[in-house]
Amino acid sequence: MKWVACELHTHTFHSDGRQSLAELAAGAKNLGFDCIALTDHNTMTGLAGKEVIERETGLSIISGMEWTTFFGHMVTIGLDEFLDWRPVGPGDIHAGLSRVHERGGLAGMAHPFRAGSPMCTGCYWEFEISDWNDIDYIEVWSTTFAPVKNNNIRAFRLWTEKLNEGYRIAATSGRDWHHQDPTDDPLSVTYLQLEEGDAPITAKVVGALSASRASVTLGPLLNLEVTSRGTNYGIGSAVPGGRASGSTFVAAVSADFQVRKGHWKLEDQRYTLKLDSNKGILAEEIITSDAPRLEAEIPDEDLLWIRAELWGMVKGVRTIIAFTNAVYFD
Amino acid sequence: MKTVLVDAQGKVTPAGSKSHIAYRFFVPNAADRLGVHFTYGPKYLEDQEKAKLLIEQGIEAYFEAEYLEQAKARWQSYLPLQNLITVSVDAPDGHRGAAHRHDREQLHVLSRHEATPGLAQGEIIPGMWEVTLSLHAIVTDVCDYTLKVWLEEEGTR
Ligand SMILES: [Zn+2]
Ligand SMILES: [Zn+2]
Repeated sequence: MKWVACELHTHTFHSDGRQSLAELAAGAKNLGFDCIALTDHNTMTGLAGKEVIERETGLSIISGMEWTTFFGHMVTIGLDEFLDWRPVGPGDIHAGLSRVHERGGLAGMAHPFRAGSPMCTGCYWEFEISDWNDIDYIEVWSTTFAPVKNNNIRAFRLWTEKLNEGYRIAATSGRDWHHQDPTDDPLSVTYLQLEEGDAPITAKVVGALSASRASVTLGPLLNLEVTSRGTNYGIGSAVPGGRASGSTFVAAVSADFQVRKGHWKLEDQRYTLKLDSNKGILAEEIITSDAPRLEAEIPDEDLLWIRAELWGMVKGVRTIIAFTNAVYFD
Repeated sequence: MKTVLVDAQGKVTPAGSKSHIAYRFFVPNAADRLGVHFTYGPKYLEDQEKAKLLIEQGIEAYFEAEYLEQAKARWQSYLPLQNLITVSVDAPDGHRGAAHRHDREQLHVLSRHEATPGLAQGEIIPGMWEVTLSLHAIVTDVCDYTLKVWLEEEGTR
């Protein structure tokens, strides 16, 4: 499997963006991305000619659409046909989600706590969710310098609450990228761990995201691996049940500071690597970019999930810098 | 030759926020081009007192208690409040796209060979078509709109 740098929330002038797909793709390539999803508001016509742009830039472009409804924005990816958002009322989102899933797509809550109408129409998620299993992912980091923003902190907390309730939902970032104006803000990347092989890239991306094989960051790529009874389990996988009581497992966290080199910068510092879980912080270690590792033996008690987090200073603010999606426990 | 199929004016108020107005019309014969011209206005809520009130109501709904005061102090960062109506088009054989953007005047053209951004090119086939106005937000007391839809034959532009 292979980690791929993705930007999963973008727009062109086919909706309210100020860029063509070619300009967007060139911008993404220049920032070291491997793959973008085009998620224009309520249209997919911006995808026309994407094969040529993919060939010219070497970037993969996944089809998508942001359901820009009156009651919430929902990003969908992996579909090659328009699905109608207009009949969906505040109590009907599961019908919409079924249509997305029937056609092999995935759906995520876009910026669920951004202030909504009339400031930003439909931007705050108001759809009633009766079964969280239908939600494939939550965009917990929206726009730039995402982790310090209150609405994102709240979305990250929502994700954690759902993991605590036992749901297996992926967490992503999305720039909600509308134009190529330069910014000094730190940019988020969602790394997806794609399977090798000849399957179409869309199928690989859908496969990775639906299995929460994702790691989100402002820079370094965090990885997490659990070793239980001699077998290794990566991000998104589930450690099988039937484990003996009183047993332990080993969790290994590493951060790759070489990824997308030159495209991001963090001040030299002592970072904190944390192992978080439904039972709280299980391990914590001060690290530097020279030795970015944490290994801990963890008692195997009442765990539903664990994830790794990297904390440190960014632009004078102490913040989470990167986090992995979860390793689950059956 | 230009055949007008819809020529409508309307008024909507904040009560119409989060609703759709669909114009369903008959295209009697295959044509080279379908034109849609849509305008609405006013675009902005100029009344600052009213804007402040709407923003404060929004903040009450969208922020957690501990951040309410902080957000309300920055209410002006949400200005200007604006009306947003978007246009989408459906042909008898399926959806033909949407133009989700803020322009208060929009001219859209669809044909076999071309379409304005957000809309999909395709044959202008006979049957019942639909242009939908989606009222994402109406913040002014009244918002007027005009909608014109017509068919065109080659060489008449
Ligand atoms: Zn959105
Ligand atoms: Zn968006």
